[in-house]
Amino acid sequence: MITGLLLAAFAGAMVALQTIFNNRTDVHMGSWATTTWVLGMGFIASLACSLIFEGKRTFELGGMEPWFWFSGLIGVGVVICLVLGVKILGPTFSVSVTLTAQLGFALLFDSFGWLGLEKMPFDWKQLAGVAVIMAGIYVFKFGGKKKTETPQPASSAVGETL
Amino acid sequence: MIKGILFAFLGGACITLQGVANARISESIGTWQAATLTQLTGFIMAFAIYLFVKDGGDLRGFTKVKPLYLAGGAFGSVIIFGEVTAIHTVGVTFAIAALLIAQLCVTFLIDTFGWFGTVKNKMGAPQFIGLAMMIGGVLLMKL
Repeated sequence: MITGLLLAAFAGAMVALQTIFNNRTDVHMGSWATTTWVLGMGFIASLACSLIFEGKRTFELGGMEPWFWFSGLIGVGVVICLVLGVKILGPTFSVSVTLTAQLGFALLFDSFGWLGLEKMPFDWKQLAGVAVIMAGIYVFKFGGKKKTETPQPASSAVGETL
Repeated sequence: MIKGILFAFLGGACITLQGVANARISESIGTWQAATLTQLTGFIMAFAIYLFVKDGGDLRGFTKVKPLYLAGGAFGSVIIFGEVTAIHTVGVTFAIAALLIAQLCVTFLIDTFGWFGTVKNKMGAPQFIGLAMMIGGVLLMKL
């Protein structure tokens, strides 16, 4: 339980860092070059980890189902959607909507066990908790920050491509 | 406006979908393998788009970027590993909630101290209250 939450928190911290780094990269390379670069680096790092921890099993892809080959496309869809969202709405509103959708769909996936995940019993505490978190997101994002909004380059979305 | 909301919403849905898809794929072929596969296919697709769109940027610009920032992409491996393992142990809702809170906390820290050359931003009471509410929401789910 604690391990799971800590791992998720660690991932979140890395996403935050990556988002900043991608912004810096975007300035010099532009959006799709950055996306390409970031996914390429991620691929190399993952392959290295896989070889270190799994050895030869890295290439034993016996349980592959055809759709596995296309899952990476979801990430590309994410980039396109986030870039357009930010362009139309500005970062604050757009990111708030995105975070809300992320949490809402997380609850749906748990409750319905979509994609063959283990179904988690839905209960009202879960929904109430998610509602409070969403409200917190809006307070955080819209609460009178004296901030001149820096235009977010397209690839800031990439950090959240996961 | 509605279109923007739709894109932002769809983007969020896809982020969660991707986490869940990775979790499912990892059950069949292993977590590091899943991370390798999704990023390889995503890379190929992004590279194809880069080649075909006019304003896709320029990969050769990497010489002007600090190596630290260029290495950021490698985080993708541990991000996917952490997220997938979390989804398997605590479920999607908890995993995503914890991930988002940590993400906002770290962004908050970076902005407050102006790390990595970000413009220093004074965060006010609303940001603290917002974070407290988010953490409260996670505790509420576990009551």
